[in-house]
Amino acid sequence: MKKVVVHPERCVGCMQCMIACATVHSQAKELPAAALEKPLPKPRIHVGVGMYNEGFPNRCRHCDPAPCIAACLPGAIFRDLETESVLIDPYKCINCASCAMACPFGVIRYNEDLLAPSGQTVAVKCDNCLPRLKQGLIPACAEACKSGALTFEESAKALKRKTDEVARSISAKAESSDLFPGFALLNAVKSVQAGIRNA
Amino acid sequence: MSNAYNKNTITEDGQLLLKKAEKDQIETVWDRFENQLPQCGYCEMGLSCRVCMMGPCRIDPFEEGPQRGVCGADADIIVARNLGRMIAAGAAAHSDHGRDLVEVLAKIAQGLAPGYGIKDIKKLKRLAAEYGLEIDGKEALEIAGELADAMQEDFGCRKKELTLVRRAPSKRRELWERAGITPRGIDRETSEMMHRTHMGVDNGWQSLLLHGLRNALSDGWGGSMIATEVSDILFGTPKPTHNTVNVGVLKEDQVNIVVHGHNPVVSEMILQACQSSEMIGLAKDKGANGINLTGLCCTGNELLMRHGIPMAGNHLMTELVISTGAVEMMLVDYQCIMPSLGAVAACYHTRMISTSDKARFPGMEHREFHPDNAAEMALDLVKEAIENFEQRGEVYIPVEPVASIGGFSVETIIDAMGGTPQPLIEAIKAGKIRGAAGIVGCNNPKIKHDYGHVTLTKRLIENDILVVDTGCAAIANAKAGFKTAESVKFAGDGLKEVCGSLGIPPVLHMGSCVDNVRILVLAAALADALNTDISDLPLAGAAPEWYSEKAVSIGAYFVASGVYTVLGPMPPITGSMNVVKLLTKGLNDVIGASFAVEPDPEKASVLIRRHIEEKREKLGLSFLEV
Repeated sequence: MKKVVVHPERCVGCMQCMIACATVHSQAKELPAAALEKPLPKPRIHVGVGMYNEGFPNRCRHCDPAPCIAACLPGAIFRDLETESVLIDPYKCINCASCAMACPFGVIRYNEDLLAPSGQTVAVKCDNCLPRLKQGLIPACAEACKSGALTFEESAKALKRKTDEVARSISAKAESSDLFPGFALLNAVKSVQAGIRNA
Repeated sequence: MSNAYNKNTITEDGQLLLKKAEKDQIETVWDRFENQLPQCGYCEMGLSCRVCMMGPCRIDPFEEGPQRGVCGADADIIVARNLGRMIAAGAAAHSDHGRDLVEVLAKIAQGLAPGYGIKDIKKLKRLAAEYGLEIDGKEALEIAGELADAMQEDFGCRKKELTLVRRAPSKRRELWERAGITPRGIDRETSEMMHRTHMGVDNGWQSLLLHGLRNALSDGWGGSMIATEVSDILFGTPKPTHNTVNVGVLKEDQVNIVVHGHNPVVSEMILQACQSSEMIGLAKDKGANGINLTGLCCTGNELLMRHGIPMAGNHLMTELVISTGAVEMMLVDYQCIMPSLGAVAACYHTRMISTSDKARFPGMEHREFHPDNAAEMALDLVKEAIENFEQRGEVYIPVEPVASIGGFSVETIIDAMGGTPQPLIEAIKAGKIRGAAGIVGCNNPKIKHDYGHVTLTKRLIENDILVVDTGCAAIANAKAGFKTAESVKFAGDGLKEVCGSLGIPPVLHMGSCVDNVRILVLAAALADALNTDISDLPLAGAAPEWYSEKAVSIGAYFVASGVYTVLGPMPPITGSMNVVKLLTKGLNDVIGASFAVEPDPEKASVLIRRHIEEKREKLGLSFLEV
């Protein structure tokens, strides 16, 4: 089964995944109308800031077993067996934040949502874009990502690629070859700047 | 991209050549557009700021992320700054084009521009008088030198206002004074915009936008107006002439030379070289049946307007024209020349030549034109194009050209009416013509190619609204067959009657994109004849397929001149609803006109018709409910 796979080393921090995620979880499903809606649609993927101010796209891993399911007292969080996705029933959620405390990745947020009872704050997180998958589309974050930090593929294939990359890097004649020299330069500069700032 | 031909363009030549380009594995602007999707939402909304290196910053429209840039600028300030810089870039492009023409005028006076001359002495003298120069007893060359000097002063700022601002109706100029937006110097307003948008200068989004209007006016009533007037002086004021349009203007049995870009300084010299009997003889020696010079985009419009030179296509056709395999040489100057063209030409025998000291392109040979070497350089290059004829491979010219009439300068429109705008005013008063609309601007792969221009124009003329057009819009409408005497069949009864009796098409080709100033001059003449302001007239503007910064400047000077203007694509302003409201509503209270945005040309036509009927009602003329 294809999944969204995160390759944090390729994130440029543009946050396009966030804007795309919030947009597809709106009523209008397009900018700029989505940004005028109430409640304002919110992203379920979050670009965090790394040690050197580099971006890190962070989303629900749909863990199995999932700590959030175990922590959810009213039983609002459940696994959809067909798609293996961890989902939240907004009508059962009591906004207690137990799931957020249990989540090892910090990707559950609390806000009003289009699909929740009006005016009520509920737990909101990645739903794997199931409605889009049904339409034959790929998840919005992976579609929006222009730098390859988010891909939609079989995890076995992604892991094989990573294994091969590691293998090539220790080959006898391997040179350190950055995929994107400009991006590597930027990151080098950023790490120096962060180093100075954090010193 | 397969089977997307109909999705991308309404034109037959475009669809057929897209198919060929796909077969030839040519990457086109539409492929690259697809590859860019989804485009950056922050940038589309104007919410990203690259002004300083505390940033780059962006404002999260969903209010989860940052709401202020590092400097503290909020969405309103960032959107206004970004728009201001777009206007500055557009005004700079037009005005620098104007400056190049003034330099040629100055060089002619010094005898340093062999091949160039003064074609319209009447206009030279009229302009000199407008600039307050003494002309009695002076030779044309002396006047040319003095006029060039006076115009160059308009670029720097030594005065309270630009000279040609005096062409605007007095009510309009009073309004500009009150709003503090009378343009002072052509370069000054652009320079001031770059200053204001520097971090820590103008952080009033309203005052930034007002200066944007002033900057645009320095283009419309300054840089562009000088560009058009000096082009007329050097190469002749256009008169109606027959021409042909679309890719079918390329000829299988002739040496095809295509000029692309904006400034007639280069293309006029190429035209002269193509007409030399020595070159035509050489072409025949090489087995060709002559030399066929055709144009693309606005430098093509310049030649079409003055000489009836055929027009191969507009902006989105430029790659496809090369993919015919029929082009021996394409010469480019500047603006709107896609840097992809060199790569397309590499698949064929086509030689690509860049000619301007300020514009270079990958995959092109750089052969710089200057006033002193232009005539000679043009002959050399035409000769090389002829020699390239033998290298030609397979040729595919899929359509027959369409006939059109171009060359409607304000002078000839007034002449056609017997020397006064009165007949047009009478026809408007009588309701035979409801009003007039300027349809201008570019192509943009976000809009199906030519669909915006052609649909809007069709709906307006069938509702008795006279259309004047320029730029890529004018080429689209010519290809659609709206520009022959018989084209009145597309017009409503009233417009049909008026245009029929004058023997003119219902859609008047007024030139290149700097020639939008011809529309301003015509609007001012109508306002003066009625002793009123431009904003009181039943007029509108539209840019249904705009893409460029120049178009932003044009739109802003149309609106600042009192013309309600409907844009197709949304400018990058939706990150600030304050800015949106000011531009689409609030400006009415400041300058008596505003923008609207409507990408659907059917709906845009309703907006324009409604606006025109409302203006008619206010003038006490018969009006319709739209």
